[in-house]
Amino acid sequence: MTPVLVARDVRKDFPNGDEVTRVLSGVDLELASGELVALLGVSGSGKSTLLSILGLLLTPTSGQIHIAGERVDDLSDRGRTLFRRRRLGFVFQAHHLLPDFTALENVAFPAAATAGGITSEIRARAADLLRRVGLEARMDFRAPRLSGGQKQRVAIARALINEPVLVLADEPTGNLDRQSAEQVLELMREMNRDQGITFLICTHDEHVAAQCSRRIQLSDGRVESDTGAT
Amino acid sequence: MFAFTVARRYLLSSPGQTGLLLAGVALGVTVFVFITALVEGLAVRLTDEVTANSAHVSLQPQTRTARILEAPGLRAEGVALVSTFQRQQIREWRQVVALARAQAGVAAISPQISGSAFLVRGEAVQPVSVTGVEPESLDVVSPISTRIVEGRAQFGADGILIGRRLADELGLSAGQPVLLRTDRGAERLLTVRGIYRTGLQSLDERVAFLSLRTARPLFRLPEGVTNIEIKLDRPEEARALARFLEEATGLRSTPWQEKNTSLDDALIAQGQTGRLIQMFSLVSIVIGVASALVLSAYRRRPEIGIMRAAGVSSGFIARVFLLQGLMIGLIGALVGCATGYGVSAWLASLTGPDGDPMLPIAPERGGYPAALVLTTLGAVLASLLPARAASRVDPLEAIQQ
Repeated sequence: MTPVLVARDVRKDFPNGDEVTRVLSGVDLELASGELVALLGVSGSGKSTLLSILGLLLTPTSGQIHIAGERVDDLSDRGRTLFRRRRLGFVFQAHHLLPDFTALENVAFPAAATAGGITSEIRARAADLLRRVGLEARMDFRAPRLSGGQKQRVAIARALINEPVLVLADEPTGNLDRQSAEQVLELMREMNRDQGITFLICTHDEHVAAQCSRRIQLSDGRVESDTGAT
Repeated sequence: MFAFTVARRYLLSSPGQTGLLLAGVALGVTVFVFITALVEGLAVRLTDEVTANSAHVSLQPQTRTARILEAPGLRAEGVALVSTFQRQQIREWRQVVALARAQAGVAAISPQISGSAFLVRGEAVQPVSVTGVEPESLDVVSPISTRIVEGRAQFGADGILIGRRLADELGLSAGQPVLLRTDRGAERLLTVRGIYRTGLQSLDERVAFLSLRTARPLFRLPEGVTNIEIKLDRPEEARALARFLEEATGLRSTPWQEKNTSLDDALIAQGQTGRLIQMFSLVSIVIGVASALVLSAYRRRPEIGIMRAAGVSSGFIARVFLLQGLMIGLIGALVGCATGYGVSAWLASLTGPDGDPMLPIAPERGGYPAALVLTTLGAVLASLLPARAASRVDPLEAIQQ
């Protein structure tokens, strides 16, 4: 299958006073289109740093990254912003919904900010996404009126509004109770299965990893194991 | 514009905080408007009081001084002497009056013979400044005929009009005779035709009015006049007309501002004080808006972070905060202008026991366009700092906050 993401020898050092702390020590990674991948590792293994670099929120110290065939590790700040908007979706542990906006407006926001407003086309797309995550009855609810699981489902819908090639999820169920976590996981699996969206889920939860088709184990800034690759 | 929708939603999300912020801006603008209306009102009142009872432009003969005459080939030095006995006068006054009358904005002209004299009644002698005027021009410089408190404002062949204080000092009443002795050594028995009270001590105590015809023999001026007084529709145009007439006629031309330099200085100082207070009002508005929006930008860092992560541009984030500043400035300025006008109009309507306004305030001169533009501009400038801070939020740091 066509690789959605190719990372070669990605390294990341953080200056720490006079010393340098190496967090990633040459990560090689390749994700095919339509994969549901769990990125595992103990605390300090570098999985969150790798996710941030792959999401263009952090620049690598060295190495090359290609997403959807485009080299992205050397993009400018503006270029990274544009690429994130066009190609990537994010789901974080904390949903960070805009509290002054409705569920529909939150989903539509990333597209509306570029289009200059919530056009009828964006509204329809956002409404469709909310229907798919099972929140059509909560579209006009402001974020504070939604439950934790509902908020995270809105966050997933928001991540999909610009039709990304890759969704990066950082502990998406970390703040949820078991039932809500199951619902959110099922939703991501459904989106992956039905629409072929590629998910890279950073987690330390074995239960979450078990739902994914592929497991990448990170240890001391390197890929320790990679099982289930297509 | 979506940034506008977001900015509006942000402001409406904390109605209490936004309300307080708007109240602060409106209060600053109210102070701005009130001070402007007060300073302008005071200036208008002072200027009106001065210009209502004095000429706006005065024309007089040039002061002649002795000078050395020089010419090529002249061996001996020549000196042009000035006679102290010769009365300075404007001989061609009719042409000058015609020229002045042809100028736009000239409301009235009064050719006059002015001089010093004594009024004698029995043993009592009082120095007076005599003004000979054409009867129809009596009210050109000061409204005299409407201020007559005894007798009538008519000169007749031997009439004189004097002020109330002077009449009291000499024990005179309308219809009584009085002897006028001028500085030219002429004297004549005149009849007090009318007594006026203007409220101005200088006029009521030391000025007497005669007809121009009566004044001529008394001041030995069979043809000319000593000065020409001009009133304008707009006193502030006096300097320009004075300059023109001086160049055109060669006469010494003095605008009212030069005769009242202390008033001019006082108005300038007062204006500067007003501007200082206005500036402080604006500075307080700018600080208030900036601090509120800086706090808002800090509070919303995680939201801004998620927007940035989702590919929303830093320019969009900056616009949201600039638009908040614009809305706060504009709405605050509009409310402040309305409140400032209301307060000024209410204060202007308060009158003292004599029926005069207690405060010389001009509500219509509150500097509303300046208040609106400066406040809005100031609020937008104040939002630059938070807008810049918000647009530079690192998405990763903000999300992890």
